[in-house]
Amino acid sequence: MSVQTFTTASTVEEAIAAVAAGARPVAGGTDLVVGARTGKSTMPESVVAIHRVAELHGVESLADGGLRLGALASHAEIAASGDVRKRFTALSDASAIVGSHATRAQGTVGGNLMNASPAMETGGPLVVLGATATLRSPSGTRSVAVEDLWTGPGKTSAAADELLVGVEIPAPAAGTGSAYLRLEYRRQMEIAVVGASAAVAVADGVVTEARVAMTALSATIRRIPEAEATLIGSDGGSAAIDAAGAAVAAASTPISDVRGSADYRRAMAAVIAGRAIETALSRAREENA
Amino acid sequence: MATVEEPRTFIRPDGKEKVTGTGRYTADLVLAGELVAKFRYADHTHARITRIDTTKARALPGVLAVVTHEDVPDVLYGGMVQDRRLFAKDTVRFEGDVVAGVAATTAEIAEQAAALIEVDYEPLPVVTDFEAALADDSTLVHPTWESYEGDEALGRHDNTLGYSTIVKGDADAALATADVVVKGRYFTDPVQGVPIEPRAVIAQWQGDKLTVWTSTQVPYAARAGVATTLQIPESNVRVIVPLLGGGFGAKCDFHFEGHVAALAKAARRPVKLVFSRREEFFAVGHRREGMVIEFESGARSDGTLVARKARLVLDKGAYCGEGGFFAQMAAMHALGPYELENVHIESSLVYSNNQPSSSIRAPTAPQVCWALEQHMDELATALGMDPVDLRRKTLIETGSVTATGQVLERIAMKETLEKAVEMIGYGQELPDDEAIGVAVGWWPCFASKSGAYVKLNPDGSGTIITGAQENGTGSVMAMPTYVAAELGMQPEDFSMLYQDTDAAPYDMGSCGSQTTFNSGRAVIAAAVDLRDQLLDAAAEKLEASRDDLELTGGSILVMGSPDKSVTIAELAGEGTFHGKSEDVVPDGPEAPAEGCVGRLGLESFHAPQLIAHAVRVRVDRGTGVARVLEVAAAHDCGKILNKIGADGQVYGGVVMGIGQALSEGTQLDAEGRHRNAHLTDYKLVTASDAPKIDVAWIETDTPGAGPKGSKGVGEPPCVPTAGAVANAIAKVIGARVHKLPMTPERVWEAGA
Ligand SMILES: Cc1cc2nc3c(=O)[nH]c(=O)nc-3n(C[C@H](O)[C@H](O)[C@H](O)COP(=O)(O)OP(=O)(O)OC[C@H]3O[C@@H](n4cnc5c(N)ncnc54)[C@H](O)[C@@H]3O)c2cc1C
Repeated sequence: MSVQTFTTASTVEEAIAAVAAGARPVAGGTDLVVGARTGKSTMPESVVAIHRVAELHGVESLADGGLRLGALASHAEIAASGDVRKRFTALSDASAIVGSHATRAQGTVGGNLMNASPAMETGGPLVVLGATATLRSPSGTRSVAVEDLWTGPGKTSAAADELLVGVEIPAPAAGTGSAYLRLEYRRQMEIAVVGASAAVAVADGVVTEARVAMTALSATIRRIPEAEATLIGSDGGSAAIDAAGAAVAAASTPISDVRGSADYRRAMAAVIAGRAIETALSRAREENA
Repeated sequence: MATVEEPRTFIRPDGKEKVTGTGRYTADLVLAGELVAKFRYADHTHARITRIDTTKARALPGVLAVVTHEDVPDVLYGGMVQDRRLFAKDTVRFEGDVVAGVAATTAEIAEQAAALIEVDYEPLPVVTDFEAALADDSTLVHPTWESYEGDEALGRHDNTLGYSTIVKGDADAALATADVVVKGRYFTDPVQGVPIEPRAVIAQWQGDKLTVWTSTQVPYAARAGVATTLQIPESNVRVIVPLLGGGFGAKCDFHFEGHVAALAKAARRPVKLVFSRREEFFAVGHRREGMVIEFESGARSDGTLVARKARLVLDKGAYCGEGGFFAQMAAMHALGPYELENVHIESSLVYSNNQPSSSIRAPTAPQVCWALEQHMDELATALGMDPVDLRRKTLIETGSVTATGQVLERIAMKETLEKAVEMIGYGQELPDDEAIGVAVGWWPCFASKSGAYVKLNPDGSGTIITGAQENGTGSVMAMPTYVAAELGMQPEDFSMLYQDTDAAPYDMGSCGSQTTFNSGRAVIAAAVDLRDQLLDAAAEKLEASRDDLELTGGSILVMGSPDKSVTIAELAGEGTFHGKSEDVVPDGPEAPAEGCVGRLGLESFHAPQLIAHAVRVRVDRGTGVARVLEVAAAHDCGKILNKIGADGQVYGGVVMGIGQALSEGTQLDAEGRHRNAHLTDYKLVTASDAPKIDVAWIETDTPGAGPKGSKGVGEPPCVPTAGAVANAIAKVIGARVHKLPMTPERVWEAGA
């Protein structure tokens, strides 16, 4: 089936009306169109292009120290933001390695989140940074924690008539460092086989806060409370890091496919999570220094 | 012997149109009224067809033709063994076997129609394990193999399509006396050519005359294939190749031109086929073969190689095509460029229900070299010798006699090794996650007939009419350079009329690193003929003796009388000048090859090209991810005509070699179907992964080399790279990776 109706929205209201009438939003199209072309999914009958909606763009530092990303913020914009790099580093790590230059220029954070692939790059960082997504429909606006956004591979908790308008990240606690790391077979055009995100706060040499999430290791990106528990209250030394890595591996339910066996993925879960945590800790210590 | 320092450069004239997007490739052409072709592929990888019903497909509005085996002559074709039909008749033998073709007004309708064709099958046991296919009780992929026409020297039997040995002395007895013996068994996954341009074919009939535009590396083979399969005179078929978006061997041989021509005939309209990326992976009967490779070598404690035994099993896949020579080619690479006292190499090319394999850049060499060069390093370890020293001791040199009895003259094997290790700084202190690996290899030249014309245009420019192809290999640079040198003109003065079988004489095509070697010889001969005509005309005009004339700077001068001259443009405006080549194909070197079977002519390597690569690799011990940081590539490819072009071949070849080393591999399921027929999971090396590559050319004057002392350049650069990478990885992790590609998981498994 090919597209029967294609409209271009110029305001959020138009976009929401179109979505409510059954159209699928297309932002950069790098998941929607590419997926349909390769036969991974079918092209929706009705599509509304939202890339011209000005209000959905932008990367904005908020007065309270938080950050607001428009749904249409591209990976290239996010990666280029000095504030994101400095204070929301895990997200910067992630956006900087999405696909290639072309993918980053075209792909959006909203599309990344709503495509709901358990291998998506920005999901894990937004989860550990405690971000919330803002969804709008004709009946109103609601916020949902990013970690509650996905219900399965390719599935979100958003209603069919809801448009993601933006993502908000709260101000990080003092002394926070964060990192995202992906196992990479090559330097560009890679897809996560194993990924891990960590956000940790350190005070007086002790880990006071820790959030750890794994990517591509279960049906959805999710936090690993067992890994977080081993870190909180610890000195963030190698024993704590190894234990946290092991907890991530234990919590993972990897598959075997052309990208790697379950055994390898599980082993890499520990390695990559350990390295992500280590990087986040060293960034946190730099914040304290 | 000299090392090329000064660049000799003429930059490809077709580059700008290619990179700015104005170049026209086959898929860009549009003919009035053209239809879209789609294929119905086999639903099983091995099955008997019991019924084909095209009624529903034909009834679909917009469908103008459906073609099956019933609609074309019942002809078996194939380069070295005739074992295949255009459209499967009674049996399908691999995933990409074409059962039917459809031509329709849109791609959607053609696809829908292809799906509506009803095909009933009786599944047969699937032969995917090509080593097991050698067993006496294996299911036969071609039960009627004996009835096929084919090259007698192949030694066919049951699933064995080709069998070749190299035997010298008594290897077993010598092994028993060796101080050190080392054994190894290696596996390689199949690899794809992955041209950036998926192939396209357009066919148009005008009466009995057929024109086919196609993205082929070998238009003359494509023309012959169409004529054979459709049973029409070759002279009725014209093949034109618009710009070619790469091939790497995968666009050698005759593939889909016959199918599309049959559809165009049935539909009475031009028909265009454009492959998807997925089809470019699974449907093309042309990929690099998987192999099982076993080596056993013995050495004296001083490193002298007293014996080498090898057993090679190569996966031919379902059909032969042009790749029937692989058993012997692989055997020659198992020999490698080494001095060996006793040899026993046995090489089998085996049918299976996997995708057919045929020539991909330096067929069989990278895999066998990868295994052999690891084996040599293992031998060095066992001897307590440095691996470079072991090679210094055992490599061929001028005066060496190969195991098949070929006497080697004026070659620079050892010099390439020395140059490569010097360039990389072998022996330097490195971080403990880095190491340098070294590997060497060889590759022959292929002498073949070729022809060319060169004509002058009234404005003084020239046109070179040649069958040479431009597959990214640089014939658009080489041919004008050769012709210009003969005529005292500039390469820029010439345009090329190429890639049209009706215009130019026969040429083998862009394969076997042969273009400069053979087409170069032809264009020089044509230019010499033209030069004679110009000198005759100038002698008359200037009233001078021919012997006193000199062609230079676009003019003909009378030597000693600087005021007496005529420009070539002036002569061209007045007369008609066209040179043609007379071809004498050079003989290959002799090799008695006593006791060797399966001799197809490769037992001697014509003007061998010699290669040494040294690579610096970093291995992440936690993950098994290996990164190539630096490559030093030293080549003896004879005289280098155009350094910028030759260097480009090495850059591309090395990057392809790194892909083969680390990430490129087709994964098949239990029935021989592709599991990663797309660029997400068939991992090519990206520009960001490309390391620093230093190139050195050791120029020789090897007997039997091509024009002006050149050998081939295109294929050798991807031969030893994987072996060098493997040796570096082994040094870092202290263990051998026995499977190619050496993916992070395999490196990790081996003990990173
Ligand atoms: C070559 C290539 C490489 C890639 N590499 C990576 C990679 O390394 N990492 C990675 O994570 N991804 C990668 N991707 C996937 C993709 O680029 C990203 O997920 C990108 O962020 C998707 O954004 P988009 O704007 O293009 O989404 P679209 O394709 O426009 O949309 C994706 C989905 O989200 C829905 N959607 C989009 N916007 C909204 C909205 N505002 N509200 C509700 N629903 C919405 C669409 O309906 C669709 O279902 C790659 C893709 C390609 C083609």
